[in-house]
Amino acid sequence: MKSPLVLVRTLASAILMVALGTGCETVNTTETAQPAFQRNMVAEKRVITDSSLARRVQVQGVNVSEGPGGFLKVQAEVLNTTRSYQRFAYKWEWFDKDGNLVEGPSSVAVTRQVEGKESLFIQGVAPNVSVRDFRLKLYENAR
Amino acid sequence: MNRTLVSVLLAAAVAVLLGGCSTQATYVDPAGTRTLSNVGEINVQDWNMASEAMVNSLIAKHINSGNLKGSGPEGRAVMAISRIVNNTSIQIDTDMLVKKIRVSLLGTGKVVADITAGLGGPEDPLAAEAKREQQFLGTQKVAARPDYTLSGKIIENRTRQGNRTESTYVFQMALATRDGLAVWEEEKTITKQARRSAVGW
Repeated sequence: MKSPLVLVRTLASAILMVALGTGCETVNTTETAQPAFQRNMVAEKRVITDSSLARRVQVQGVNVSEGPGGFLKVQAEVLNTTRSYQRFAYKWEWFDKDGNLVEGPSSVAVTRQVEGKESLFIQGVAPNVSVRDFRLKLYENAR
Repeated sequence: MNRTLVSVLLAAAVAVLLGGCSTQATYVDPAGTRTLSNVGEINVQDWNMASEAMVNSLIAKHINSGNLKGSGPEGRAVMAISRIVNNTSIQIDTDMLVKKIRVSLLGTGKVVADITAGLGGPEDPLAAEAKREQQFLGTQKVAARPDYTLSGKIIENRTRQGNRTESTYVFQMALATRDGLAVWEEEKTITKQARRSAVGW
């Protein structure tokens, strides 16, 4: 039988290894101080029902553009405000000029993963040229 | 205890026993996040995400840029489906991906699908026969060949480390013109991990 000292040492090493292995992993980001682009940011209205998700994964801004084909293209910057890996899902909803929902098989929830303190861009393209407005939904229960 | 009370209790007990034996199914939104997923298969959510990525890319990179040229009705591009290769170890119906893309592209108002052209024969034999008849009689101008063909491949990669298993499914698609030039290509990779259960059931 192993001595208590050996057992304590083994246990302490295991705890240390677990702590090191699953510790917070964040992302360091570098970008140009004066970006060459100018985004067309849009004013947003947010309805937050899951404050726990809103605290952890935040939408930093939304910008919109339109190509020569007339399709609306939307980009949202999402930031993981925590120091740990997070999972979330998002879904775009598209509306025509009368406010009617434009549905299609591609209007689905998409799962994304983001490292601690990392920001990423999620993009959506309108399903057709009749789309004039959009809504972005964020879900927490993503696998 | 009176007879009525005994009957009620007996009925309740039977209901509880029968209810306990049955498994109640619940409906979930297939476009949501509550569908089931596992490592060994391409699940509904994977098909959804792959088709969403393909459609977004095709619209953003090719259709919205104004590069789409068509000979179909109202200047729409005529697209036919070519070979979609399944290089995975599982049996899949590639229409889980292709049909979603087709429906979305038709919804753009810029593309129509030719269902009379196909490698394994026409998808709609009656439409193919009608098209041949019109071409023969010359009653209506019908495009003989599609403007674009859509082809693709689905690849699988599996790996295991310790008690964790991982599956990667790579969806590759290309859109080619009549000249055989690929004018759009996209690849979407979906990777899933799972921890194997310590107990074998």
